[in-house]
Amino acid sequence: MTLLELEDIEKAYENEEVLHGVSLGMEQGDVEVLVGPSGAGKSTLLRCVNRLTEIDAGTIRLAGESIHDLDSNDLRQRVGMVFQDFNLFAHRTARGNVTLGLEEVLGMDHDEAVERAEAHLDQVGLAEQADSYPAELSGGQQQRVGIARALAMDPELMLFDEPTSSLDPELIGDVLAVMNDLAAEGMTMLCVTHEMGFARSAADTLTMLDGGRIVERGPPERLFENPQHERTESFLGQFTDFE
Amino acid sequence: MVVSGALRSLDPALTRTAIVLQSGDWGVVASNFDFLLVGTAVTILLTVSSLVLGFLAGFPAGAIEVYGTGRLRGLVAGAGVVLRGTPIVVLMMLFYLGLPIPQLGTVPGLEIRVSPFIAATLALGLRSAAYQGQVFRGAIQSIDDGQMEAARAIGLPRRGAVRHVIFPQAVRRALPGFQNEFTIVLKDTSVAIAIGLAELLTRAEYLFVQPERSTAMFELILAVSAIYFVLTFATNRTLDRLQTRYAIPEGDG
Ligand SMILES: Nc1ncnc2c1ncn2[C@@H]1O[C@H](COP(=O)(O)OP(=O)(O)OP(=O)(O)O)[C@@H](O)[C@H]1O
Ligand SMILES: [Mg+2]
Repeated sequence: MTLLELEDIEKAYENEEVLHGVSLGMEQGDVEVLVGPSGAGKSTLLRCVNRLTEIDAGTIRLAGESIHDLDSNDLRQRVGMVFQDFNLFAHRTARGNVTLGLEEVLGMDHDEAVERAEAHLDQVGLAEQADSYPAELSGGQQQRVGIARALAMDPELMLFDEPTSSLDPELIGDVLAVMNDLAAEGMTMLCVTHEMGFARSAADTLTMLDGGRIVERGPPERLFENPQHERTESFLGQFTDFE
Repeated sequence: MVVSGALRSLDPALTRTAIVLQSGDWGVVASNFDFLLVGTAVTILLTVSSLVLGFLAGFPAGAIEVYGTGRLRGLVAGAGVVLRGTPIVVLMMLFYLGLPIPQLGTVPGLEIRVSPFIAATLALGLRSAAYQGQVFRGAIQSIDDGQMEAARAIGLPRRGAVRHVIFPQAVRRALPGFQNEFTIVLKDTSVAIAIGLAELLTRAEYLFVQPERSTAMFELILAVSAIYFVLTFATNRTLDRLQTRYAIPEGDG
């Protein structure tokens, strides 16, 4: 089943055009990695999918329905998002970060929310840290709480915007491990990341975005081994050199 | 006209005789201490009622200045400018003389008339709301945008995000500013002397305007300042503790 469809998405800020006719489709269970230089429009594209940003033209469909026919809060509950800077609720414990949406959005009672939150914290390896506040956690732990917070809403699709870019190198592995697990469990994931190891091992599709257009899109091996565009080759080349 | 005679009674000749400290004059303070304590109770009551009004009106005002739009926001911002730009003594007289507050008699025990108490609460409370609104506005604006985005991203409506994510953090950040405001309101209750409300300073004045006690004027004023100091000091300490108690844990750093 086609879970997510983007058709000719256009987006401009003030006078600056950011997305020019972007189209792509993801089947349920697909893992797609989106790469491209700074300013390419990667974050903007993700934010259009959960309507943190509104598109100017085009259509986005989730499970066949235009997202503009859905209530934006219902849409966001069905589409989880993980941020580069974690954005954990600073005044709530790890557990409290996860229970907020369960209680206030899904209307769960407190005990049930706590139980579900703890299960999700356990899933990301943080059962022990349930009572810790964000400032008491490492970046890698904070990001895993961020993932648990999104997963607890039982989303159909997960969006990741550079989830490891703010992390010290030694902490990236824990977050990627959680993302790999999710991918293996069949979660549909649209990820902006420059972790090429993850792209190679977990992604079904690699998409190269530049200047608001899709330059090339296909299986990761093909883009790495046999890129059709010079732009893709030079961009991916800078990462493979380091591997 | 109920405006008190405090300023008129402070003529230079009287003042010169009054500042000579005499043990007998401290006796006046001691024997009238209960009388001053009733005034202290009124001062505390007026502070609390004004701060509660200031919070109840100031918090939404701050939120409206950040999140509101159009006419409501303009109205709130405009009211704030007027309230902050008018001397408190003038506000108090305006409310006392200009509002149709019915004469409601007196409160037994505290020996205050209800009408000037209401006028003083409105003046101090609304002006405090104007300042507390600014404190909250700044606190709300200091919260990282990512907090709102993360709240919206899990499907919380804007109102829920503000209530569950922004406000709890903003209130904590506003505490130091609120503490400042608390002290100002406490001290400014003394301005109610201008509308004849029997708070602490008014009661002290009542004592020293009597000719037989006029030499104790300086001692009475000293006693009054000491009481104000104890009140501000004690509340500041309490609020300090509150801040520590509700601080968001920062880790072992
Ligand atoms: N809220 C905004 N208002 C105005 N311009 C914006 C806004 N958000 C993004 N832009 C602009 O849109 C363009 C694309 O930004 P976007 O954040 O989508 O890029 P990106 O591919 O995620 O880049 P990076 O790798 O640096 O995160 C940039 O030129 C940016 O300056
Ligand atoms: Mg980005």
